[in-house]
Amino acid sequence: MKVNWLRTDRPRRTKVPVEGRIPPEPFVPERASGLVSYPPPEQWDHWTEYESTAWPHKVERTYQIVPTICFNCEAACGLLAYVDKETREIRKLEGNPYHPSSRGRNCAKGPATLNQVNDPERILYPLQRVGPRGGGKWERVSWDTALDDIAARIRRAIVEDRKTELFYHVGRPGEDGYMDRVLPAWGVDAHNSHTNVCSSSARAGYAFWMGNDRPSPDYANARFILALNAHLESGHYFNPYAQRIVEAKLAGAKIAVMDPRLSNTAANADYWLPTWPGSEAAVLLAIANVILQEDRFDATFVRRWVNWEEFLQHEHPDGPVSFERFVELLKASYSRYSPEFAEQESRIPAATVVQLAREIAAAGSAFAAHVWRGASSGNLGGWQVARALFFLNVLTGSVATPGGTAPNLWNKFVPIPPKRPPHQQVWNLLSWPLEYPLAHHEMSILLPHFLKEGRGKLAMYFTRVYNPVWTNPDGFSWMEVLQDEAKVECHACLTPTWSETAWFADYVLPMGHGPERHDTFSYETYAGQWLGFRQPVVRVARERQGERFTYTYEANPGEVWEEDEFWIELSWRIDPDGSLGIRQYFESPYRPDEKMSIEEYYRWMFENSVPGLPEAAAAEGLTPLEYMRQYTAFEIKGETYRDQETEVAPVELEGARVDPVTGLITTGQPAPPPREAKPSIGASLDATRRPIGVMVDGVARVGFPTPSRKLEFYSRTLKEWGWPEEAIPNYIRSHVHYSAMDASRNEFALVPTFRLPTLIHTRSGNSKWLNEISHSNPIWIHTSDAQQLGVVTGDLLKVMTEIGHYVNRAWVTEAIMPGVVACSHHLGRWRLAEHEGMERWSSALAELSHEPSGDGPGQRWRLRYVHGIQPWTSDDPDSERVWWQDAGVHQNLTFPVHPDPVSGMHCWHQKVQVEKAGPDDRYGDVVVDTGKAHKVYRDWLSLARPGPGPDGLRRPFWLFRPYRPAAEAYRVDRATPPPPADLDRREAIDESGAGGSG
Amino acid sequence: VTKYGFVIDHRKCIGCHACTVACKSENNVPLGSFRTWVKYIEKGAFPNTRRYFTIERCQHCEDAPCVEICPTRALYKRHDGIVDFTGDRCIGCKSCMQACPYDALYIDPNTHTAAKCHYCAHRTDRGLLPACVIVCPTKAIIAGDLEDPASEIAETLARQQVQVRRPDQGTRPQVFYVAADETAITPGLAAQPPSYLRSQVGPPGVDLEPKGALERMRQLAQGSTPASDGSAQRGMAPPGNIAGSTQAVTVYDVAHPKPWGWKVATYLWTKSVGGGALAVAGPLLAAGFLSPALTAGAGLIAALFTVLTAVLLVWDLKRPERFWRVLLTPNPRSWLVWGAYILTLYGLVAGLWLLSGLLGAGSALRLLLAPGILLGLAAAAYSAFLFGQAEGRDFWQSPLLLWQLLAAALLGGAASTVLVAAVVDTGNTRLLEILTILLLAGVLGTFGIVLAELYTLHANKDVAAAAAYAKRGPAATRLWLGYALLGVALPTLLLLGVLTAGLPLGASMLAALAALVGLWCYEDVWVRAGQSVAMS
Repeated sequence: MKVNWLRTDRPRRTKVPVEGRIPPEPFVPERASGLVSYPPPEQWDHWTEYESTAWPHKVERTYQIVPTICFNCEAACGLLAYVDKETREIRKLEGNPYHPSSRGRNCAKGPATLNQVNDPERILYPLQRVGPRGGGKWERVSWDTALDDIAARIRRAIVEDRKTELFYHVGRPGEDGYMDRVLPAWGVDAHNSHTNVCSSSARAGYAFWMGNDRPSPDYANARFILALNAHLESGHYFNPYAQRIVEAKLAGAKIAVMDPRLSNTAANADYWLPTWPGSEAAVLLAIANVILQEDRFDATFVRRWVNWEEFLQHEHPDGPVSFERFVELLKASYSRYSPEFAEQESRIPAATVVQLAREIAAAGSAFAAHVWRGASSGNLGGWQVARALFFLNVLTGSVATPGGTAPNLWNKFVPIPPKRPPHQQVWNLLSWPLEYPLAHHEMSILLPHFLKEGRGKLAMYFTRVYNPVWTNPDGFSWMEVLQDEAKVECHACLTPTWSETAWFADYVLPMGHGPERHDTFSYETYAGQWLGFRQPVVRVARERQGERFTYTYEANPGEVWEEDEFWIELSWRIDPDGSLGIRQYFESPYRPDEKMSIEEYYRWMFENSVPGLPEAAAAEGLTPLEYMRQYTAFEIKGETYRDQETEVAPVELEGARVDPVTGLITTGQPAPPPREAKPSIGASLDATRRPIGVMVDGVARVGFPTPSRKLEFYSRTLKEWGWPEEAIPNYIRSHVHYSAMDASRNEFALVPTFRLPTLIHTRSGNSKWLNEISHSNPIWIHTSDAQQLGVVTGDLLKVMTEIGHYVNRAWVTEAIMPGVVACSHHLGRWRLAEHEGMERWSSALAELSHEPSGDGPGQRWRLRYVHGIQPWTSDDPDSERVWWQDAGVHQNLTFPVHPDPVSGMHCWHQKVQVEKAGPDDRYGDVVVDTGKAHKVYRDWLSLARPGPGPDGLRRPFWLFRPYRPAAEAYRVDRATPPPPADLDRREAIDESGAGGSG
Repeated sequence: VTKYGFVIDHRKCIGCHACTVACKSENNVPLGSFRTWVKYIEKGAFPNTRRYFTIERCQHCEDAPCVEICPTRALYKRHDGIVDFTGDRCIGCKSCMQACPYDALYIDPNTHTAAKCHYCAHRTDRGLLPACVIVCPTKAIIAGDLEDPASEIAETLARQQVQVRRPDQGTRPQVFYVAADETAITPGLAAQPPSYLRSQVGPPGVDLEPKGALERMRQLAQGSTPASDGSAQRGMAPPGNIAGSTQAVTVYDVAHPKPWGWKVATYLWTKSVGGGALAVAGPLLAAGFLSPALTAGAGLIAALFTVLTAVLLVWDLKRPERFWRVLLTPNPRSWLVWGAYILTLYGLVAGLWLLSGLLGAGSALRLLLAPGILLGLAAAAYSAFLFGQAEGRDFWQSPLLLWQLLAAALLGGAASTVLVAAVVDTGNTRLLEILTILLLAGVLGTFGIVLAELYTLHANKDVAAAAAYAKRGPAATRLWLGYALLGVALPTLLLLGVLTAGLPLGASMLAALAALVGLWCYEDVWVRAGQSVAMS
């Protein structure tokens, strides 16, 4: 018999309950002759093992094993920290076998957390700048001083009604729901994200289809996987997804990967489809066309769950509303996407397109597909790539099926926190400008240009796990505005480590790494729901040994805080007497009028908001908080599918109205209290028409959170908000379409976005083990193109964008398509002072110079390396053993902003001219004219079709918006609307989690 | 009986390096060293390009050559099949690094002792799987008891076709690969670019000379570009656009230091001179050709060069203060141990010889005659068996090595005796004539064997590659100018001149000096060429 051990999801081990406890089953099967992956949890409080460095002497070390959650990407995999009982230091971090998503496994970044904790370069005390901002002079300051100053600035802005001058700009949130409480409590619309350098287009494409802005592929059960991503190499959610993709592969699933570059994912696939960047939608629609013309689609699913009635009603009102007519129209409108057309656009052979279509159709409802960044984030119109991809899920009926792709929120759980503030009454136009009413989400890349245009100023600007100077396009414009104290009055950087952005802060406030903080979160890593709990492991270990701490920083190294406590403390100081109405949200749910402790926050949530958790805890004789401290992960439900088929409760149907054509069911009844704090999507402004479901074959079902409650092949929203020609899945030619390239001028499409399996955006500069493995980002160029340019691997290339150029080495390879060049995005870290400003494991010393631009408001900047990475002496003997010199080359500086007019995505791909570097060019050089950058911004801004839309709204009310303001704030005229259906009960709406950040 | 092994399933490996990092964390592996690593290979022309991964590490061989060569029993095979090591016993001789055909060992810069994957024996003894196994996201690394039919590893071996690395080495590895690409598991099939996909080529031999390396890297980093740094590491890289060719290319790997350098080359040289001294002087003494002064002189050379040999050997240890362990806690299977005994005894004999020579104790000399000759030959020649145990270096495992060392001893003994005779015994023309003939025989004999070594059919492609390194590669200048021209052609002409045209004594002395310098050049080329071939 063929035994597939990978499928042995949950082994049944004989387990002896200890002290009446029945521990849950671990997610790790063992058939290794008595060897196991992890110490049994009964022994976690006192686990003795042999010290490896003393081996073969059996030197015993005793550990308190404390689980926590990795913070090195969004996947939130489980970790077990081995806290040495003697030294109270973390010896190592392994996987947590009780985490249902990561199942005891990690990628390289998990164990590398240890480097981050022990990094001799980390910041241990708050710093305040001395001298001009960006001048590089710092002095240590007390937390009290920093908190008081910042709190006073925030209080003034709130009291003086300058609420939109407050900004909290977050890169990797690493948490669900906490800040969603803090900012509305202040009454501000301060949240800004990194989303539009990441995933705006994929979000928009998915959201227009299904309300949810992320896909949740059920890889483990798929028969065919179409990946426009790199899930076997990087991306969200690398480790959990890679596990499940490989499971499926071993079980016989086929994998196809669309990527102009041979990623490690493509290297493991059955099909590598190197498509010309931006042509992906053409291929996908051609696949759709073949499936349609050959009648291989799932007609039942399409008829039941696509809003074809609405499409016919609005676009073809002159004929009958029948499914047969819809299918005819569908076939007619997609017939222009022939396989030959796809070949012409993408260079994928037409025969391959047909073959793919047939394989995908054969996989049927077990077809998993996913795009997140990649093609969507690279190209103008990339949101239609996501729309075209999900079209294939719809046609094959593989939506929310075993092996299919589900809306992400069905596989995510966000518990309701204690005492939730109402939605803020203000709308921040610096993040949510009128020009981009459909953006997903904040227009973070445009902030420097908005400030330059005088659209506003920032009284208090927080950056948190966010490095816009380095990560965002056009970093020199960021440097210009960050150094302008009239535009940014105070900048506090919340970070465990130095970054290029921290250099331009007034306060650098050290915050804990993954094992030094609390957070909760839940992500759609498989077709179930789980809640994860990050905890500060040394604090927990020491508390288990009887010590008591009021704050986590008491157990952290130096004066490193955790953010949760920082926000409580800051909020308290903003409103010390409660007169602003802010303090109440930071009072203990257990001790009236007293400041909430972080333990109380989570204790309340675990006791009151997580279904099944109190019972599971009781079965082990634990309180819910103790249970979560013991396991840090709880599976709320296992694999579930087809949530849209859930029937509407009869009580809800009382007095409901059903639209005779579309079957939409609406009610005027108030919404029942929510059971979780997920984003509200699909709400209606009209209190008398709250959608609750849709009639499908005579049965009232809850459907999808869209205005039609069906999958919106036809988006009325796009039509009504200025994009009628894009209302159905379509192919938009990218700004790097091949027709825009002049090969005789050595013009190439540059793919600058790909990630490496070992690095974490710009956050792994503090890991020696990760940087030892990856520290170069040469330009991938095809052999034939290299021959044309007369270069070989190692030669210097000058890569010219619209606003400047950079100089990097060539990597001549057969692993990229001709005409396209690619460069990984992690590397090219730099610092401006020898001993601080950036991690010496990973940064080159650079110098900056500038002169006035000849092209408008800005400067002509040059960044040049003084020297590469060098060994140095520190507490860690490894710092003298750093053997690599290369820090890579910073390319994002040379990219102007390219906001997609619909999604707001920064369209990363660049049309570049590449030539052999000249005698004055040096490795690492970056030259940029920010005057030109501002002009490019104006050009792209002119592509936008500004709001307001119908009803004078700034944004469609049904669409997801993180940190959703009150309904009144949606109105441009701010006239008080009738109380909206969902808003008469504050708790009924929330957007915590923002659908996860990406 | 438990027998642990690994199966590495490359249908599942995604090249994520989690195993590498988890191992570093578990075992505190310093920067620049790796107990396990993932190698990347690319091949095929666009769009049929593929990338292959291989997880490399100690193969826990059934017949582990590192265990055999280790002089102090620091490396040993446990009953459960794990090849483990004790840092406490290690003297840092690096012979294990030469013996291992898989580049699995390194010198830990913290302890200056050898280290490698030991199957996380400290974990298995507590019932836990190795750290690399439990971290792997895709369960591509399977551990367990090969003898337990219920185990996953045994089941996988029964069901799947597996490969082992370098089966020709006869080590019987206990790491089995499923679906590994042949190019990826066979060293030398893929081209080596000047830098990699996302890293420089490295690490260079940081762990061997920490202080110098630090300074050197500071200089490299100071204002220099990675391209030029990379080219400094280019080594065997063929010129031109290799990353773009459709042949297989290594796109990520870790480099391994070449553990033996000039000290080992010089040791071979001092040994030839020292061992050759009595091996040549002995018969001449017996035949009555040696004056008392020259007899003592031969003893002096033998003693002095044997001491120098010992100094070099101890100096080359990473833990020189532990050198006595070779003698006191010996591994009888290691030729390093036998060599140490031989050198010790020979040094003793040489000292007594010198003493007897100085005191004019003829009867004592007669007693020392046979031991002196035999031990001299043994001292010169035992290295053939030592290098024969360097299983990883096929070039060194040549059947000609014994003869080459004996010829070199003749060369070294004759040359040094010529030089001593020229000082203390100038009038003895008959002796000088014999010595000249012996030296000529040594020079030509060595050269003949060297030519045979480099130009006859090679045992395998690694030997051929090493020979090419010597003949045409980076060592060619030293081989042809230093050895062939200076060390062979010049002395041959001079010596023939002495024998046939009556050139003065100075010509013999010059020939002897040139031959000795040339011999050193060859030993250096030979030591470097042997280590020039990639093993992983």
